[in-house]
Amino acid sequence: MELAMTAHADGSALAGRVPGNRGIWVGILCELTEFALMFLAYAWFKSGHPEDFHRGPAMLLTAAGVANTVVMLTSGYFAVRALLAIRRNDARSARNWLIGTLLGGVAFLLIKAWEFSWNIDHGVVGTGNSFVAMYYYLTFNHLVHVVWGCLGLIWAILRTQFGAYSPEDHDGLEAATLYWHATDLAWIVIFPLLYVVK
Amino acid sequence: MDTHATQEQQATQVWLGLVLLTLGSAWLGETLASVGVTAALVALIVGIKGFLVIRHYMGLAEPGSRLRQVMRLYFVVVPVLILLAGVTTG
Repeated sequence: MELAMTAHADGSALAGRVPGNRGIWVGILCELTEFALMFLAYAWFKSGHPEDFHRGPAMLLTAAGVANTVVMLTSGYFAVRALLAIRRNDARSARNWLIGTLLGGVAFLLIKAWEFSWNIDHGVVGTGNSFVAMYYYLTFNHLVHVVWGCLGLIWAILRTQFGAYSPEDHDGLEAATLYWHATDLAWIVIFPLLYVVK
Repeated sequence: MDTHATQEQQATQVWLGLVLLTLGSAWLGETLASVGVTAALVALIVGIKGFLVIRHYMGLAEPGSRLRQVMRLYFVVVPVLILLAGVTTG
């Protein structure tokens, strides 16, 4: 795969700088490809069962979807601030912004758990309804990526705490934030598909 | 204002824009009766949000970067899919 990953030894690239490192972009592109296939499956099942999908969003707790989207976007903003902080050689601020990013991820998971509990109480279960089955498949998959992202953030927090990053060398921190943004990108698509478009 | 302060300010503005777009799309879903119009506006909002995150959160700012082109293409193709799914079944 060529892309912009024809990087030189100094980390520069023929077609511009690659943020983070090559490895994380392999992971990000695989993640987005996986979600693209699920979006195709969504379109396929929607064309086959339009009534399920037309009524589907009204069955869900829209407030939870909106809250989780705002939490993800805010968490992503904290990740940007962490990167800016390490670039100005302020490791303490970078660590604190990363902790804020992680807390956003934890908040996302807690809201999701509350939403799933609400779903069960209101009979929103994945049997016999294509929309609800798609909803659980998409959100569980995304949830797994959020957990992976949180683990990456914990690693970056620890590395920042112990002085591993500098303004010149912080690829690991940037890679953790990039993965987080990719998870955010997937949710940017999932949110309207499940909670908005009928 | 130094470069770092400008970047921080820009990041804050982008975050605010993303949140407003999210609330806007939720409002559209609640108020608009036409499935096709909702799908079209939501697809546009998804594209804009994707481009903002790719540019300002992920730092893919180099115009010639193929990685940036691939990422942006994703946020052209997926909104078109949302639009088609909305229009054809609405």
